Amino acid sequence: MASVEITGLRKLYGDVVALSDINISIPSGSFFTLLGPSGCGKTTLLRTIAGFHAQNAGQILVDGKPIEGLPAHRRDVGMVFQDYAVFPHINVRDNVAFGLKQRKVSASEITKRVDDVLDVVQLAAFADRMPHELSGGQQQRVGLARAIVIRPKVLLMDEPLSNLDARLRVDLRAELRRIQRDLGITTVYVTHDQEEALAMSDTVCVMHQGVIQQAASPLDTYLRPLNRFVAAFVGGNNFLSLAKTGTQFALESGGAIVLDTPLKADIVCAVRPETLHVSPGRVVPSDTEIAIPATLLDVSFVGREMEVVTTIDAGKKMKSLARPDPAIIGLQAGSAVTLIANLDDLSFFEASETGGRVG
Amino acid sequence: MTSAFRKPDFWTVVTGVILVVLVVLLLFPIVRVLMLSFVDADTLKWTLGNYVEVFTRNYYLSGLRNTLFVGIFGTLGACLLGVPLAFFTARFRLKGRAWISTLAILVLVAPPFIGAYAWIMMLGSNGFITNFFERIGIDVPTIYGAHGIILVFTLKFFPFVFLMTQTALMAVNKSFEDAAENLGCTPWQRFVKITLPLVFPAISTGAIICFVLSIADFGTPAILGRGFRTLSTIAFSAYRSELGGLPTMAVTVSMIMIVISMLALLVQRRILAKRRYASSLTNLPVKTQLTGWRNAAVHGFCHGVVLIAMLPTLVVVYTSFLKTNGPVFVGGYGLESYDRILRTAPEAITNSFIFAGAAVVLIMAFSALISYVIVRRETAISGVIDFLMMVPYLIPGVVMAIGFVTTFRSGFMSGMGAAWLLILLYFIRRLPYGVRSTASSLRQIKPSIEEAAINLGAPPLSAFLKITVPLILPGLIVGSLMGFITAINELSGTLILYDAGTITMPVSIYLAVLDGEFGLAAALSTVLLLCTGICVYLVFRFTENRDNAFI
Repeated sequence: MASVEITGLRKLYGDVVALSDINISIPSGSFFTLLGPSGCGKTTLLRTIAGFHAQNAGQILVDGKPIEGLPAHRRDVGMVFQDYAVFPHINVRDNVAFGLKQRKVSASEITKRVDDVLDVVQLAAFADRMPHELSGGQQQRVGLARAIVIRPKVLLMDEPLSNLDARLRVDLRAELRRIQRDLGITTVYVTHDQEEALAMSDTVCVMHQGVIQQAASPLDTYLRPLNRFVAAFVGGNNFLSLAKTGTQFALESGGAIVLDTPLKADIVCAVRPETLHVSPGRVVPSDTEIAIPATLLDVSFVGREMEVVTTIDAGKKMKSLARPDPAIIGLQAGSAVTLIANLDDLSFFEASETGGRVG
Repeated sequence: MTSAFRKPDFWTVVTGVILVVLVVLLLFPIVRVLMLSFVDADTLKWTLGNYVEVFTRNYYLSGLRNTLFVGIFGTLGACLLGVPLAFFTARFRLKGRAWISTLAILVLVAPPFIGAYAWIMMLGSNGFITNFFERIGIDVPTIYGAHGIILVFTLKFFPFVFLMTQTALMAVNKSFEDAAENLGCTPWQRFVKITLPLVFPAISTGAIICFVLSIADFGTPAILGRGFRTLSTIAFSAYRSELGGLPTMAVTVSMIMIVISMLALLVQRRILAKRRYASSLTNLPVKTQLTGWRNAAVHGFCHGVVLIAMLPTLVVVYTSFLKTNGPVFVGGYGLESYDRILRTAPEAITNSFIFAGAAVVLIMAFSALISYVIVRRETAISGVIDFLMMVPYLIPGVVMAIGFVTTFRSGFMSGMGAAWLLILLYFIRRLPYGVRSTASSLRQIKPSIEEAAINLGAPPLSAFLKITVPLILPGLIVGSLMGFITAINELSGTLILYDAGTITMPVSIYLAVLDGEFGLAAALSTVLLLCTGICVYLVFRFTENRDNAFI
């Protein structure tokens, strides 16, 4: 159990900046997730902590001690790999015991600790199997057992669930979280799956182009994204253009004035799909709502919900999610509809890709 | 880089050691050959005179012409046998297909000079086929000269074209051919317009290998030439006649051989660069069942080709069991030839095994390390090492051996005995077999496996030995066996380096053939073929297991 403190970390590949001035503080025992699209630097950051990459600048402190002077094999951070990386030529027990043997732990203790950890990951019955006799989910449990049995200071997980099928992913997700809580082990988790990040983490750290965009609790990340990138990446948002007159900003579609601020920058209005309601025909909004005339493009009914795609003027597509409504599903493409949102559900960002939150 | 982290990392040290070994054993001799070719043997001054002599004297010019002539026609012959054979085995249902492939591989690994002298026993001036036809009054052209050499090259090297083309044909997506047929092509048009162009890169690769090996081959023209000289026999005799002085003419001829090989490789690169057909194998080719005379003709051709190619080997084995009295066959069967090996040349057998064995131990160790550096370390130096692994393919054995002699018999390594020189020569010349096979094994293994070991606390060397080596072992063994086969059959380089105590089986065979001791040569050849055959069997075993061993 240890805290992790990363300050001023920088990593270059030639001229390409892979990580730019990373500053992170991870309290002991917490579950910290690096979330971002592929190429955002999250895996590079994880592998730098593991010691597979050397940083160009900055420090990584584990329990207050810098670790960048240590080679990868002496860092004492457990790692779980995306492709499991279970050694294919030795059985489950020997895989799990590998790190303990490297640490010259006595044979009797190895047996005990391996048995214990195999119980924890529910693989006790598979101890003598070879890896190719296991399913993907079981192999990843071996990967996890192998990493935690050495009682590392920090546990690193690099998209451990991304090679598994959807249902198993959800099951194993809960199990990973349970084991992590029980052991109280400081964990850095990498994923591109926002649902996974929100469901598991104490802190979600959204990265983009080697820069940290926001590090906050899952709820804060979703409800109060710090900038436009986070708003777009986590949960998805529809962005509406605003026209500025003096200090007043009005929707370009529908014309309602939604914001009054002295800011000079261009500003966009964000509205989440699940707060954007679709009504057939033309509807007049109440005082606390905005209404945008739109044309129905497509409705996909996926069971629990329906996803409605509409176009507003200039062909801009809008997405809304709602409980299935026969009145909408029955509409012909091209029908006139009205998009309605509550004023309280609107948020505002400066218009650039990573433009900051307004208000 | 921060602090002590990346200082003398294990693999950096290994890379350095590899580089030193390659520079000393590979580059030094080649550079030495290059430099000597610009030195005047008498005045020791820099000169272009050697090259002027090669390009003006008819002796050398005809050697160059002869080399290109037998090289080109030997390659053409190999293609004429290899391509149809590949097409038939890949596209038609054949009885005994595994048998055909096995025979082709056996032909491939048997030393070429054995073929050459077996053909003398059949078609030489006193050959049994020649004698048979003479008795019934037909004059058969003898085997000696260019056509004999071309015949031996054709039958010896066609398996390269065959095996490479066959692999490519099996991997051509059938949808391409179906599409051509759907668009109105007859089967023949389809073959010429679609299939042949698609497998052309493979055919050209096989052909270039044939050509390079034909250029480098020493044993065949030495045994069958009778006045028809090629560059390799000229280089060898130049070296012999220049003993004591500087072998400047030998190295100049060697340089010409290297240049020809390099040009051939450049041609090959250009061919491959323009044609890259990535094929997704969704629709595997299907074999059709022929009927009637076509079926009989295809069977006859395929089995005929491999049987004729195997004929020299069979003749050699048969001859080894003929009763002899000294060099004379006296009729009937007996084991005198084997008895004579034990009495006159037992050390040839032990030497062969010791030298090839020692070379293979080195090959195994370095193959594992070099392939790791090439596959896993993406540095400029690993690129250089990867490139250097091509070089031994291009340097004929005679040339490499002359380079060794001129480099290591003088200066700081002059104390090395012939045995060590032979081991190092085999090692450096056959190292690419091991590296290539091991590297392709290693490419199948995800790097995360090794990272996991390191992450769990294994230092780099320990992770390599405990995790990487067991996983690449099949590739390592196959590569080493291939290295062993080619090392134990090495003739031309050994002829230059060996001394009284270090004679090997191929050299003994060569000398016995020159002395007309065909019985002795046959018995030694049979021993050599036997251990080659055992190695081939082992290779088969390990390549079969490779697929399902560690999935």
